[in-house]
Amino acid sequence: MLEWLAQAENSKPLGLLIFFITFCLIVLWVYGSRKRGERLEEHKNIPFLDEEDEAKEEKHGK
Amino acid sequence: MFKNFKHEALETNTGLLLVATMFAISIGGLVEIAPLFLIDDTMEKVDGVRPYTPLEQRGRDLYIREGCYTCHSQMIRPFRDELLRYGHYSLAAESKYDHPFQWGSKRTGPDLARVGGKYSDEWHVQHLIKPTSVVPESVMPNYPWLLETPLDYSDVGDRMRALRTTGVPYSATQAEYDQNVKQFGAEVAAQLHIPDAQKNLVAQAQAGNYDGDRSSVTEMDAMVAYLQVLGTMVDFSKVKPEDLVKYR
Amino acid sequence: MAASTTAQAEQYDFDIIKKFTVMAIVWAVVGMFVGVYIASELAWPFLNFDSPYLSFGRFRPVHTGAVIFGFGGSALFATSYYVVQRTCQTRLWAPGLATFTFWGWQAIIVLAALSYVTGYSQGREYAEMEWPIDILIEIVWVSYLAVFIGTLMNRKQPHIYVANWFYLSFILATALLHTFNNLAVPVGLFTLKSYSLFSGPQDAMTQWWYGHNAVGFFLTAAFLGMMYYFVPKHAGRPVYSYRLSIVHFWALSFMYMWVGTHHLHWTALPDWASTLGATFSIMLLLPSWGGMINGIMTLSGAWDKLRTDPIMRFMIVALSFYGMSTFEGPLMSLKDVNALSHYTDWTVGHVHSGALGWVAMISFGSIYHMLPRLWNTQMYSTKLINAHFWLATIGVLLYITAMWISGISQGLMWRAFDEFGNLQYSFVESVAAMYPFYVMRAVGGMFFLAGMVLMAYNSYMTIRQGVRQAQAAGQPAAVAA
Repeated sequence: MLEWLAQAENSKPLGLLIFFITFCLIVLWVYGSRKRGERLEEHKNIPFLDEEDEAKEEKHGK
Repeated sequence: MFKNFKHEALETNTGLLLVATMFAISIGGLVEIAPLFLIDDTMEKVDGVRPYTPLEQRGRDLYIREGCYTCHSQMIRPFRDELLRYGHYSLAAESKYDHPFQWGSKRTGPDLARVGGKYSDEWHVQHLIKPTSVVPESVMPNYPWLLETPLDYSDVGDRMRALRTTGVPYSATQAEYDQNVKQFGAEVAAQLHIPDAQKNLVAQAQAGNYDGDRSSVTEMDAMVAYLQVLGTMVDFSKVKPEDLVKYR
Repeated sequence: MAASTTAQAEQYDFDIIKKFTVMAIVWAVVGMFVGVYIASELAWPFLNFDSPYLSFGRFRPVHTGAVIFGFGGSALFATSYYVVQRTCQTRLWAPGLATFTFWGWQAIIVLAALSYVTGYSQGREYAEMEWPIDILIEIVWVSYLAVFIGTLMNRKQPHIYVANWFYLSFILATALLHTFNNLAVPVGLFTLKSYSLFSGPQDAMTQWWYGHNAVGFFLTAAFLGMMYYFVPKHAGRPVYSYRLSIVHFWALSFMYMWVGTHHLHWTALPDWASTLGATFSIMLLLPSWGGMINGIMTLSGAWDKLRTDPIMRFMIVALSFYGMSTFEGPLMSLKDVNALSHYTDWTVGHVHSGALGWVAMISFGSIYHMLPRLWNTQMYSTKLINAHFWLATIGVLLYITAMWISGISQGLMWRAFDEFGNLQYSFVESVAAMYPFYVMRAVGGMFFLAGMVLMAYNSYMTIRQGVRQAQAAGQPAAVAA
């Protein structure tokens, strides 16, 4: 196993393996649970919490 | 396992986010770059490749100064059309003393990896002064100042010393010189000796008479000397193709 | 109005953002002008005027430096300082250090341009700056990182918004890339000249690891940060899927770093390295398109604004070009396609569809969004924004069409054989055949530049108007930049 890792020509499958596992982990985190999903989605409103300038935009945004 | 892990930890902790991001961006480079330094297969073992002489190295400096790499590559690929147009494909070993490499990324003009010896010195001088005088359709700029400007070679020793620090076998001591005699032969070793750099540079410019004027060493001398050595170091009649293949 | 201005000026540190925004516009005009000039040199070589200072080889890095680091860099500093403050609901940490990043960064751009025309270059694409400038970049960059992280740590909002992740990843990656790609041995303490530490294949690998990730992190990840704030904010709708943006972030940060070797197909670099680069390039299509879809879906439902609001148009066209060039890139990284496209104008066209279509367009949209908010006024003219939009779009289309045709023709002419098995064309025949396309490219560039000049004028008038309104409202020069 270790010898296989040490050979340069195996870096391609190894890279694929590393990538694929990482990708699966991320997807599982993100889409794995409904509760986490809901919690994550609520953060999308942060850009609208920054200040009181929304009303002003209406006035100027012609 | 990841049931307990909360991505929230990353979203709310700057330090963790920093470390995790650093980790994610480091792997690719490590996997691809590190092996090139560790494995000795990267470079073919061929005879003839030597460091540049002081005059050629100064020419190379000018090549970089003028940004020639923005329009000319120095890397012939293993295709039939490139073999016919430019010659044998470029070996890794041929740029092993190139700090920095000048493989290039664009051929607005032709590849120059094996331009050495293809044209006469007079042609190069004419071409550099006014390319359209020899190639009417050319879009290359004129470089008249190369012929008018005397070459500044006062710091050529410092330049070679800096290159020596990067690993180019220019010799500063007698022991290093002796080593170079063994590796490259006496004639080449003499050219690589830093204490004689200025003398060697002037001697090569006068003997080569690249710009057709022996009275002074100009930038044109250095530039043409460099162009004429490109791709000529390896004698491909002595290289067996099967020895090269395993490096690709 | 005066009261709200005061409140706003106190809430966030806008002064530094104003400075960077103005310089982004200035460098865009300068850099694009030099771009049009060097494009014209290729069509009409007399424009080199036999002058070392104007010759293509020395002038080209002036163009790339001014647009990437001058325009792109200043736009990123401006927007990142804007976004990080607003999404963290706090003021910048260490405003003095932030001011230093401004002056330091401007000095870098000017010094780099001067050093290129006077003949000092490391001979590495997009990293031509010699060692003293590299050290200055390192110092400014670490200061930038400190300001950014300090601000993140001072945030009043518990969650770090995703745009900031992209900015953070861009700052970290750029630091890493810059440091390793510029390892060099100077000839002396009092000369700019240096020699790179590595040579041959190792040097090529390091340079293109840098070169492609300058595209990946400087010109993509960072501008995605811009996209994730300004697109939702301007559309007045939150981002379509926050979870998708998380996957987008991690996949992009991880995968981009592998793909640089696709610049070295068929070269003396060992085959496994360039194949690995191609594999990752193709996989990169997924997160790239995930991000693009996320952006476009955010805008969907606000389509009505598209008809009236040219800023929205800039954003949607930017996202479309992002999608197009992240499809074209993996295609060009296939070894067989690359055999044709490498060394040709197709590469130049690809870069510009990303740089003009994506990077510049999303920056224009973001700057037009910020300007009225920074100077507390409205845009001087929406008509001019609209004119800018059309000039820019026509310019990009002309540019990339010209480069597709010339690139593919070059590739085909170089590999064409006649019936006797000899090369059909000499090299210079391919040069001569490119003339009409080089003219067309220069014209495309002129369109884009003309739009940029309109933007500069419109921005100048907007700022003047904002300053005058503030003065009329009894506010002294404090608000002026």
